[in-house]
Amino acid sequence: MTVAEERIGRLHDLARAAAADGEDDRARYYVRLARRVAERNRLPLPREFRRFTCDDCDTYLRPGKNARVRLQNGHVVITCDCGAHARYPYTEREDSVESDTGPESSTDGQ
Amino acid sequence: MALTPETLPRHELNGLPVRVVESDDDAREGLEGRVVIETTNTLSIEVRRDGESRVVMVPKSGSVFEFAITDEAADSAKESGTTSKLANTQPAETEQSDVADRAGEGVAYVTVDGSRLLSQPARRTETSGDSPWQ
Repeated sequence: MTVAEERIGRLHDLARAAAADGEDDRARYYVRLARRVAERNRLPLPREFRRFTCDDCDTYLRPGKNARVRLQNGHVVITCDCGAHARYPYTEREDSVESDTGPESSTDGQ
Repeated sequence: MALTPETLPRHELNGLPVRVVESDDDAREGLEGRVVIETTNTLSIEVRRDGESRVVMVPKSGSVFEFAITDEAADSAKESGTTSKLANTQPAETEQSDVADRAGEGVAYVTVDGSRLLSQPARRTETSGDSPWQ
C-alpha cells in the first residue's frame, strides 16, 4: 500500500463526507485531487470511486440526490445533474446471491 | 506506508486536525481545526467555534503546523498500525530538526515547518521514498 494509494482512499472518504454535508464544491475539489494523484502515480482509481464520480464535472454522485440511476437491459445508466451519462454493465449471476465474495465465487461455475 | 510522522509531509493533509503553532502573523497563532483545502502555498483550515465554522487560509511558508495523527483521522482499519509504529520512529525523528512528534495514547502530534510542505498537493507524494526503481 503506497502513500499515493492511501491518499486516494482518504480523498474518496473526504469527498463522500463533503458531498453528504452539501459541500459540493469541496467534494469536487477532493475528487479532482484524487484523480490527479492517480494520474501522477499511474494508478487505477478504485472501482467504487469510478462508479460514484462524474467523469464530466467531477461531482461526487449521490444516487437520489444529484444522480439518477436507471437499469436498462444488461447495463446501469447513471445520470449526473450536469447531464452526463455513465454506463456500466451488470450481470445477474446465480451464485452472486449466496456469496458476493467476487472472483472466488466464479470457480464453481464450470 | 501508513500515515506516520515520516510519511506525513508526503501524505494527504486534507482532513487532518491541525494547529498553527507559529506564524509570521500573530493573529494566526493558535488556530485549531481541520485542513479542508490545500494549495501549493496555503492550507485552508476550518475552525469550528460555538457551533459555527469558518475557513481560514494560512500560508505554508512562515508557519509551523502541528498535525494530530489519530486512528480516528485514519478512519480505516488498514491504517490502524499508526500508533504501534510510533515507538520505533521516535529515534529517527530526533535527527530531523523540523519534524518532531509526541506520542500520546492513540494520538501523535507531528510538528512540521510549513516550508517543507511547499508543493503542489498532488506532487508532494512523489518527491522521495518508496520509489519502484530502487
